Amino acid sequence: MTITIALPSKGRMKEDAAAIFERAGLPIVAVGNERSYRGRVEGWDDIEIAFLSASEISREIGNGSVDFGVTGEDLVREGLAEADRRMEIAARLGFGHADVVVAVPEIWLDVDSMADLGDVAADFRARHGRRLAIATKYWRLTQQFFSGSHGIQLYRIVESLGATEGAPASGSADIIVDITSTGSTLKANHLKVLPDGVILKSEACLVRARKQAHEGDQRIGRIIEAIRGAL
Amino acid sequence: MPLINMPDFAAKLLDDFAARGALRIDTPVIQPAAPFLDMAGEDLRRRIFLTESETGESLCLRPEFTIPVCLRHIESATGTPRRYCYLGEVFRQRRDGENEFYQAGIEDLGETAIAAADARAVNDAVQIIAGLLPGRPLAVTLGDQAVFEAVVRALGLPGGWQKRLIQAFGNTAQIEQILLRLASPQPVTGFAPDLATLLGGDEAALIEHIDRTMQETGYSTNASRSPREIATRLKEKLSLAETRLDGTALLLLCEFLSLELPLGEASAALAGFADAAGLSLKGALAGFEERVAALADLGIDLSRITYRAAFGRPLDYYTGLVFEVTRAGDGAVLAGGGRFDRLLTLLGAREDIPAVGFSLWLDRIEQARAR
Repeated sequence: MTITIALPSKGRMKEDAAAIFERAGLPIVAVGNERSYRGRVEGWDDIEIAFLSASEISREIGNGSVDFGVTGEDLVREGLAEADRRMEIAARLGFGHADVVVAVPEIWLDVDSMADLGDVAADFRARHGRRLAIATKYWRLTQQFFSGSHGIQLYRIVESLGATEGAPASGSADIIVDITSTGSTLKANHLKVLPDGVILKSEACLVRARKQAHEGDQRIGRIIEAIRGAL
Repeated sequence: MPLINMPDFAAKLLDDFAARGALRIDTPVIQPAAPFLDMAGEDLRRRIFLTESETGESLCLRPEFTIPVCLRHIESATGTPRRYCYLGEVFRQRRDGENEFYQAGIEDLGETAIAAADARAVNDAVQIIAGLLPGRPLAVTLGDQAVFEAVVRALGLPGGWQKRLIQAFGNTAQIEQILLRLASPQPVTGFAPDLATLLGGDEAALIEHIDRTMQETGYSTNASRSPREIATRLKEKLSLAETRLDGTALLLLCEFLSLELPLGEASAALAGFADAAGLSLKGALAGFEERVAALADLGIDLSRITYRAAFGRPLDYYTGLVFEVTRAGDGAVLAGGGRFDRLLTLLGAREDIPAVGFSLWLDRIEQARAR
């Protein structure tokens, strides 16, 4: 069986992932030219590298069509239902740090916790004739966090695929759930992160698809050990 | 439209409904999703089957009947009272059981004799199920949102806490969390010095400050929460944090929530609780007693009904009665019902329309019949 590892196809993520694989003794070479979307690991004939976009990687992990992937934990947890049943985080790679957070307008002086937000949400429809609107591209994480962890039911998600931070000021939503690394974009848009509103501390991870075929395959353990050893 | 996968007792059920004066109403299987998500909350999203129209409207497969029936009633602008019934397939993503199954039920819209309508809903549900499951004893659990709200109000808890508790009624874990936090309130600190000064002053200055800041930072003052709303809640929150809560109030609330007894004894027990606690629950208790009397008038065996004080549904349109029918000694809910006086105005009705109804889980009834 060939083991397929999906790696980010471009940008910082691609370079950082390649550097770790190099240090782990798994140097990656592109098949064909530099822009090829396929690669291999020098000295490991039975490993295949597929260069994919980060969100595709999480989907392929979910399908089990690749064995390993390097992608952000946020994408895996957002993209896959019952993520922990379908994948395992084999190693946290120490780059691509970003938090998925609940952020509200700074001027909401009375809101400093999820409990405050729950109160505001409960009253919202009576006051405004509509539910509290949350702009986000993280549907699943938002639902799990609001409904599951904090018992907040009364809100509506407004899908936002870009410039989410601008939604509260523009009036298209009241608050946001978004990913932030430095918080500077949030600040520039006069938003504050709720102290207990950090949904996920994400970073790039080596993710393994939970597959029956992996049991008893020593190469799986060796790859994981090699990557962990390089961190 | 007879479907071959319909339960074999569907025709009998429709006869039962007709005999009870209910008018059958049909609603499309494909429904706009927004009313369901607005009423039940976002969490419903992962439990319904969503799709989109070509124009981008969010649609779903009918996950239940109450909202479509109410919407249809509002649309058709007929007078009240109306007694509707329905029987058809609903679609939900469930861990256990099929994703599509049949439900049937009755909704009484606009019946102003509240206690009598409540009693009739419970009685109809029980009688219909008893007819389908002859010889098998049934159990009914009954709760009352109005009694819980009356207790919370009478306890004199601060307004914000009352709202939290009422909102969470029916969700045991959340109620426990709130009680825990009530027992050890957290002080509010960490305001910037200039704001701290404003907080000591009058509300107008605070509103003015918030208004100005919003304008300077490019936030509309009327698209979302207004400066006044923020200022008022901030003041409320501060006073809440300073309130030292009375330990007895919490004990009383816990005592109330643990009440569970045959309905025939419930009125006396509630009156006794109110007396001993020194709480005035008159209006809610009168309504409760009236309903018990109406149930007794219909000849239902009150010892088969259990009143459980903590039983409710954490949905903000439920206002009074909630009930469930099961087989005695079995957890599977065969019928669920309740009073939802707030739903029709939330869905856009111009005037208040009191409403009560119940829904039968035909797949579970079918299973119970087979056993």
